[in-house]
Amino acid sequence: MKNMINISTGHVEPADEKIMSSVGVHIEDHDRSGTYILRDFHPQCVLSRTNGLELLPIAEALKRYDWLRERYYWKAVPADLDEYTGQCAAVEEPQGYFVRVKKEIKIPFPVQTCLYITQGDLTQTVHNIVILEEEAELHLITGCATRTDIHSATHLGVSEHYIGRNARLTSTMVHSWGPDVEVHPRSGTIVETGGTFVSNYVSLRPARSVQSRPSTWLNGDDASAKYLTIILGSHGSTIDTGGDVYLNGANSSAELAHRAVCTGGRIYQRGLLVGSAPGCRAHVDCAGMVLDSGEEGFIEAVPGLRSLHPEARMSHEASIGKIAPEQVAYLQSRGMEEREAISLIIRGFLDADIEGLSPELDARIAEIAELAGHGEE
Amino acid sequence: MTNILEIKNLCVEVGGHELLHDLELTIPEGEVHALVGPNGSGKTTLMMTISGYPEYTVTKGQILFNGQDVAELGITARARLGIGVSQQRPPTIAGVKLRQILDFAAANDPQRAREIDKLARALQMESFLDRDINAGLSGGEIKRSELFQLLITHPMFVMMDEPDSSVDLEAMSLIGKMTNELLAGNHATRPMERRAGLIITHTGNILDHVLTDKAHVMIEGCIGCSGNPHILLDQIRECGYEECIRCELRRHRKQ
Repeated sequence: MKNMINISTGHVEPADEKIMSSVGVHIEDHDRSGTYILRDFHPQCVLSRTNGLELLPIAEALKRYDWLRERYYWKAVPADLDEYTGQCAAVEEPQGYFVRVKKEIKIPFPVQTCLYITQGDLTQTVHNIVILEEEAELHLITGCATRTDIHSATHLGVSEHYIGRNARLTSTMVHSWGPDVEVHPRSGTIVETGGTFVSNYVSLRPARSVQSRPSTWLNGDDASAKYLTIILGSHGSTIDTGGDVYLNGANSSAELAHRAVCTGGRIYQRGLLVGSAPGCRAHVDCAGMVLDSGEEGFIEAVPGLRSLHPEARMSHEASIGKIAPEQVAYLQSRGMEEREAISLIIRGFLDADIEGLSPELDARIAEIAELAGHGEE
Repeated sequence: MTNILEIKNLCVEVGGHELLHDLELTIPEGEVHALVGPNGSGKTTLMMTISGYPEYTVTKGQILFNGQDVAELGITARARLGIGVSQQRPPTIAGVKLRQILDFAAANDPQRAREIDKLARALQMESFLDRDINAGLSGGEIKRSELFQLLITHPMFVMMDEPDSSVDLEAMSLIGKMTNELLAGNHATRPMERRAGLIITHTGNILDHVLTDKAHVMIEGCIGCSGNPHILLDQIRECGYEECIRCELRRHRKQ
């Protein structure tokens, strides 16, 4: 049965549509199983096209289901975690989305959600909950953006993901913010036996400050998590991202890959893997490419491991470098322009093949390559 | 016969040190020349300079390609004019696949794109197409990968740096066969005459497989002498490069 709330995507203005498209949210794309758009404080579109997929504004879901508050709401992210979760918890009627995929349902196309800011100096608080029941599958694309004329705003987002037995959630989050925006996402994911969580985070245009440290608990045996974080930094921004994974289930596994390209601004790559179960395996890999650090820019990689069990196998690696000129020259000797060669090298370095995101990522990489190139003729 | 490459009084510096001194070299259209010489004599420096690598600074002289002085042009421009190069130790580029470079070269040319799979089979490179370029390749695999790229990019003028080094006998035979196809203009999308080329060789093994019109001996940044490739190589095998150096010194004293 489809949702009762069914606001059409026709309400989205063409200028907004273009911005949403840049963060992977395609209004006219029929290859999406559902769409949720929050414009400032108001849901602009809530549309589910697939049976077995429930998509609601969180406030509506809390009214409809008592069990949601009892079993899930603020259970993966504590309300008193810090001042930002406290601010979200204090909101009388929360904004955000509720997504539930019923048992054994595999949603054929991605569900897209957009958290969009169109008013200056606004503080947008959202609370999202995603529940995948046993053996369900979903790809969730979340695009977060400000309208191009908005420079200053604050986005506080709480996201809780609950992944059932043998279920699989792929979460792709794309950020494109105004230069003076403050962003503090807080995310918690609990994975049961045999469940899989794949998290792709891509920051195309960073805010002035992004600080996030998503936590994942692999509580079931054979549960797994895979994080890919791509940061394309820019002058004046501070981006501090990480990912803590607690490997509590036997034979659970986690893989964290951070990729950052610095063209100014400060980038911190963190990651803490905590192994406390027999046979658990974890690896964290931080790699940075500094194209132009400017006066204040840097990449700092802090991969972390904590082993609480003698049979936990854990490893990390970190490297930061520049684009090797001989690599650029080699590709040019095959006829590529310098910027084409740099684009290809950055794309290869990011090693990102994220469903539904290639054109946006390639466009941003091309911009960076243009800045990094020095022009040969 | 017109010259595809004409180098006049070329002086080249790397890191403030002059490595090529008043070098002269002419290669007519359709001819393939061999370049031999001891280690450090400047063979690779010459090839990289002709390609346009920026760390090789031309301080004097001209590099005429089809009559146009290319000494001030960048690498891309020279590649697009038709200068192709096969390096001895090309860089590894993480995440960049051999197929991506081939696809770039074959973009907008369906006939060339169709050649990719055919040539991959002929060069036994099918399993390397989707691997990072040059990562973990043996000597012979690097040569085949470089040759593959030249076969798809279709340069008018081919330069190969030691295609016979670190290559076993079986691979040498394949590299020789495919180099001949490259020089003969096979796999070209348009009918063409035999390609001109310059092949650097240390051992001379490639000359058993590829017909060359002339050989040049490079000594200390200059072309010492030129002549029939097999006669020159036989003399070098018999007397070594020491004799070439003595000969060069005698010539300088006479001047």
